[in-house]
Amino acid sequence: MPTVAIVVLVVFSALLAGLLVLRPAITIHPGGKILAFGVLFFLPVFCLLVGMQNEMDRSKSTAFCLSCHIMESYGKSLHVDDPGYLAAAHYQNHRVPADEACYTCHTNYAMFGTFKAKLGGLRHLYVYYLGTQPRPEDIKLHEPFNNRECLHCHLGARSFEQGATHNADPATLPAIKANTLSCISSGCHDVVHNVGHLDNVKLWTETSQ
Amino acid sequence: MTVTHQIRRRLQISAVLIMAGLLVEAVCLLWSRPIAFVVFAAAGGFLISVGVLSFLYSLVSLESPAPK
Repeated sequence: MPTVAIVVLVVFSALLAGLLVLRPAITIHPGGKILAFGVLFFLPVFCLLVGMQNEMDRSKSTAFCLSCHIMESYGKSLHVDDPGYLAAAHYQNHRVPADEACYTCHTNYAMFGTFKAKLGGLRHLYVYYLGTQPRPEDIKLHEPFNNRECLHCHLGARSFEQGATHNADPATLPAIKANTLSCISSGCHDVVHNVGHLDNVKLWTETSQ
Repeated sequence: MTVTHQIRRRLQISAVLIMAGLLVEAVCLLWSRPIAFVVFAAAGGFLISVGVLSFLYSLVSLESPAPK
């Protein structure tokens, strides 16, 4: 449901609730009782559920993550014109949905992954508004990046399974799949955002179709 | 205060809480910032939940006036 439609529904429900505040005597009639049940139970619960779903969807968007100024350099790193930059290459080539780029890589593809991602987001908010904000280049992941998040898409892909580097040593591929050899911190794909070194890089200009 | 007045008073309190929660929701839906997500869930969710529970409680807590 579009956000505007939800807002209209919510405001309409609030107006009906206002009517009950001003004229509670209308509940004396059967029609008024039904109205009261709808306005004080069904509509608010429905609005809360639909609104929560809308907020959850919006919180997955790239724009949402980048709306905090501390994340600006991470947004900039998605536009680096260098295929060696992992995040930029994924974003620019739509290997991840461009409008959910942050969430796609940084969520946890295990059970309750989205819930854990939201809890992590609450911690970010706490630091942003009440704590001491670190410099963007000092921001670290809560826990080491799990290969599971990469394998969610790459497992079974020809470029991954039959890639020359991945198969140069027969132990490499099983180690990657077992998460004992990190895709990112093992030195293979270690240029991810590199926000501390974005001053002199060439940037790609996104053109919408 | 008669039972009818008590029921109406509780309905009004529930309606005020729900209206406040819905208005918080509406503002948060239009305000696309991470803090809006928290305000939506914490303040909006709290006000609506308390309003709905208060309404349900008002239905079962007071005896209806005896039929004439």
